[in-house]
Amino acid sequence: MSDRLRAVLPSVFSVFLALAVCWCLIALTHDATKATEAYLHLLRGGLGDWAKYLEEGTSTLLTRPLGEAAIKASLLLLTGLSVTVAFKVGLFNIGAQGQMLVGALTAAVVGAQLKLPALLHVPAALLGACVAGALWALIAAGLKLTRGVHEVISTIMLNWVAVSLVDNWLVVGPLRAGAGTVLSTTGTAQIAASAHLPRLLGDSSRLHLGFPLALAVALAIWVWLARLRTGFETRAVGLGAEAARAAGIPVGRRMLGAMGLAGALAGLAGALLVLGTELRYPGSLGAPYGFDGIAISLIGGNHPLGVALSALFFGVLRAGGTNMQLLNLSKSYPELIQGFALLFVAGRLVWLAFMRRRQTAAPTAPVAPKQPEPSPEVPRA
Amino acid sequence: MLELLEALLSSTLEYCPALVFAALGGMLCERSGVVNVGLEGMMRTGAFCAAVAALSMPTPVAILVGMLAGAALASVHGYLCIRWRSDQVVSGMALNLVALAGGTYLLESLYGPNGTPPIQQLTRWHLPGLSEVPLLRAFSGHSALTWLALVLPFAFHWVLYRTPLGLRLRAVGEKPHAVATLGLSVAGLRWLAVLGSGLFAGLGGATLSTAVLDRFEQHTPAGLGFMALAAMVFGRWTPLGTFLAALFFSAANALRIGLASSAPGLLEVVPQGFLLALPYVLTLLLLALQGQRTHAPAALGTPYEQESR
Amino acid sequence: MISLRHIHKRFGAVTALDDVSLDIGTGEVIALVGENGAGKSTLMNVLYGLYQADAGEIRVGGQPVRLRSPRDAIARGIGMVHQHFMLVPTLTVAENVVLGREPSRWGRMDMDRACEEVAATCERFGFKLDPRARVDTLSVGSQQKVEIVKALHRGAQVLILDEPTAVLTPQEADDLFRVARELAAGGRTVVFISHKLREVLSVAERVAVMRRGRLVAEVRAANTRPEELAALMVGESRVPQAEAQAYHPPQGEKLLEARELQARGADGRPALRGASLEVHAGEIVGIAGVDGNGQRELAEVLTGLRELDGGGGTLLGKPLTGLTPAEARERGVGHVPEDRLWRAVVKAMSVEENVALGRQGKAPFAKGPQVDFAGRRERTRLLLQTYDVRPPDPEVPLQALSGGNQQKVVVARELDAAPKLLVVVQPTRGLDIGAVAQVQARLREARDRGAGVVLVSLDLEEVLALADRIYVFFEGRITGSFTRPEFDEREIGRRMLGTGQEVAHE
Repeated sequence: MSDRLRAVLPSVFSVFLALAVCWCLIALTHDATKATEAYLHLLRGGLGDWAKYLEEGTSTLLTRPLGEAAIKASLLLLTGLSVTVAFKVGLFNIGAQGQMLVGALTAAVVGAQLKLPALLHVPAALLGACVAGALWALIAAGLKLTRGVHEVISTIMLNWVAVSLVDNWLVVGPLRAGAGTVLSTTGTAQIAASAHLPRLLGDSSRLHLGFPLALAVALAIWVWLARLRTGFETRAVGLGAEAARAAGIPVGRRMLGAMGLAGALAGLAGALLVLGTELRYPGSLGAPYGFDGIAISLIGGNHPLGVALSALFFGVLRAGGTNMQLLNLSKSYPELIQGFALLFVAGRLVWLAFMRRRQTAAPTAPVAPKQPEPSPEVPRA
Repeated sequence: MLELLEALLSSTLEYCPALVFAALGGMLCERSGVVNVGLEGMMRTGAFCAAVAALSMPTPVAILVGMLAGAALASVHGYLCIRWRSDQVVSGMALNLVALAGGTYLLESLYGPNGTPPIQQLTRWHLPGLSEVPLLRAFSGHSALTWLALVLPFAFHWVLYRTPLGLRLRAVGEKPHAVATLGLSVAGLRWLAVLGSGLFAGLGGATLSTAVLDRFEQHTPAGLGFMALAAMVFGRWTPLGTFLAALFFSAANALRIGLASSAPGLLEVVPQGFLLALPYVLTLLLLALQGQRTHAPAALGTPYEQESR
Repeated sequence: MISLRHIHKRFGAVTALDDVSLDIGTGEVIALVGENGAGKSTLMNVLYGLYQADAGEIRVGGQPVRLRSPRDAIARGIGMVHQHFMLVPTLTVAENVVLGREPSRWGRMDMDRACEEVAATCERFGFKLDPRARVDTLSVGSQQKVEIVKALHRGAQVLILDEPTAVLTPQEADDLFRVARELAAGGRTVVFISHKLREVLSVAERVAVMRRGRLVAEVRAANTRPEELAALMVGESRVPQAEAQAYHPPQGEKLLEARELQARGADGRPALRGASLEVHAGEIVGIAGVDGNGQRELAEVLTGLRELDGGGGTLLGKPLTGLTPAEARERGVGHVPEDRLWRAVVKAMSVEENVALGRQGKAPFAKGPQVDFAGRRERTRLLLQTYDVRPPDPEVPLQALSGGNQQKVVVARELDAAPKLLVVVQPTRGLDIGAVAQVQARLREARDRGAGVVLVSLDLEEVLALADRIYVFFEGRITGSFTRPEFDEREIGRRMLGTGQEVAHE
């Protein structure tokens, strides 16, 4: 248990450090009281206005903000998991954005075009989105395996292709709501009521089924990676592809599987956005969800449960971020906190060493060298 | 036809400098063995700082400020990756996010969401002799940065393949231990390359806000840093290859704009989305055709430890 | 000329050098011997400025000096050739040699002058090297010469050679010894780091012996026998007895019958060009050869890691063509690969997860689609105990173990699967004497149990010590085959260079 605690600590500390640094930033650009006020707004916007609730007893003062936080968190969680699963097999998925986009579009099309009872319509739309996202991601995985194209480059390219084809063609052209008429709207048609993700708290909050679904998915992925043989094989491929190959693990199949799953998760995020809150594909995704996924995944230590925690935390901040405009502050403020948190995670060796030095107050011990190893590079005749 | 070609060329020359600078910066960094996915963030920082600086000082000086700002962000990357041997991809990604959100935050709190106030654009050079000649006319009317972008790749090539410094940079990216055993400083060489990449990425960003646009906009550089990364890989980590790849991307973009404006009827037949997607699809195809052989420096992404073998 | 006084060096909690003092004279060949980890390389890295001593003094020509980096050492006339060559493979010979002191004119590198200078240095010391050749096209022996030229070109008066013969044929080694003697005769000093005692005694005048970070003896080579040196190296109490190797006639069932194998190397060039061989149950078949003559690819073909371009045969009763790693394991092929951290283990995973690798779908490591945590833990505990792995903790990441203990985990895992054919490549490289003896004993046990063992090693001594039969590889073909007790080291060496007389093998 203490080992696990130690693994979590750098991320937690990074987040707090980021909160502190960003507080200073507002204090410098505006003033200290405003900075503190901003943080209170963030909390009220994400966790509910408890003080007012205790005074007035209106439950929507809590359910609204909490619902918004949960909605934001479920999107962050799924894109974060998408990046995590790809990381586990040793691939860097910068393409969650594009995969989410094609997923969202597919969900919108299935939601609007098919006529099905609700019990089938929602699963069909979710599944469609997963498949679309998976296929989009598999292009990158396939290019990597057969042609050796680095996935970082191919997923970036695929993001652009997705944006170009969907946002600049499909939703302004053939799939535009009222296509063929003179109506000048962007975005696809509204989805059928049967395809709406059911709201969990009725009218008091927008919270919908997507949130528990995302949590369940996180749990399932954790079980898969930690307890099942194929999860073990996937991790082995990610940490040592050649050793995995020598051990008889089908490296290519595991890579395709993990990357497909990564794409499906991002696609699912797109479906949640469309079926849960937007109720149509609005013309563009509107935010760099793919980047968020990378940050959430890395801050969560690439562990499904850690990713869930970091998604919940930043979901709260994001939901609170909309409140920042009341103070004339940018609503991108939570993203700044997220960026700094990732920077501190990246540089954790720096402040860990700094803390250790103060703790021991001893002369710096020289870094212990690794055991002498035969170097992996063998001179070639 | 000639006119279309001329417009295309002119538009390419207008659009390419930012990409060329950033891609060359990225190449410099990676040839020394340090991954730089933070180009986008460095460009954004350079673009923002140059635009803000240009409000109160002459534009050329503001560009210098932008370059230094890019280098400042790069120095964080260097500190984490060289001094502390942190994960280079994570560090670069973190810098991207900080620059993305930080740029938005500062922009909105200082100037509002619509971008900085307009600034004095960099002077465009109208070459009297040239502006009469058909086709070559396209070379007239660009800023000095365009000309720099046409010369710089060759300068990089010369430095990398013809000078002692270039030899050392190439060696440190391939086998840092060999360089260290000859008494050269691996960290020093890598610092040089990382700071240099920041300078050039910053220059790329500054180009966007002082020559292409006349302000810093909310979304600058809108993914151009990642395109620079792709150009570098596509160009196989060589200065001239990177240059050609950057030109290719720029020309594809110019072609789209050119077709859209000169042949509006075309958009009825071919949706604009197809034209937009074209360069990316082509890149994917060409990368796939380029085949398996990797051209990346051998030590790319591996932190150097002195007291280990 | 050079004098090291009371050198101390610690790495974290480990004392690498403990009060070491050594004088190195002018014009002598001095050898530094000791087990792996005894501190030989660390001491020389201190002298070369790569490591900083925690305490002690270095004097060059009577003057105390501080060597903060190799630059300082080079300036004092000290040069070093590392065991793992410090060459940039994509650069030319001349570029590698002049790196860091490039001749230039107005900022431009003068490549022609560099080539001339390097050619002059080569000529002066009698090396035949093309300055414009790319280093990765050269043989290992030539690469070593480039390293030596690199040091001499910088005016080295003292040349440190770290395990220089580890990858050379006997003939190449002789050539190196000749060079060393000539350099010494010309007034330079050669420091030879080695653990091969015979060659040390044949080339050096003086031998310094290190053990566990201390200098325990200095002897004159002329009046010392190898056995005495071995005793000094490991301490009187535990001299490993060279096991008498009996002759095991190949009588068991035929496990492998390979005909005209052809395969490409990692660089895409043909590496195996028609090798035919057989392996029987109950024998150790040694594969000898200079690095890069197809031995590595043979091991990869047998374990399903490399596709055949041509030829074929049967492996454990089924065709060799189209073999995959999973299929190879299924048939009963075990594999101890050369590059442990790359191909045998996943260093960031725990010891028990590494033990499960290769059998992750089988009992006791899995129950249906699930990982069997209890069964895996139990089996790992047992193996760690039997093979004396330290620490015997299944949960620590594998990278926390020493190289020797990592290798024991690999050997334990592979033998636990009871393979019918075991393919081992360089199984003892980089291990200390204790671990070497243990690993070799395990291979013999496997053989005695009835397994066939294919032993690929660049260390001819090891092949000679372990094998029942030897195939010699040269340029992807077999140029000789020998059966114990008719092992002839010189003849094997000639075959390794492709210069021996052609033998018709049966």
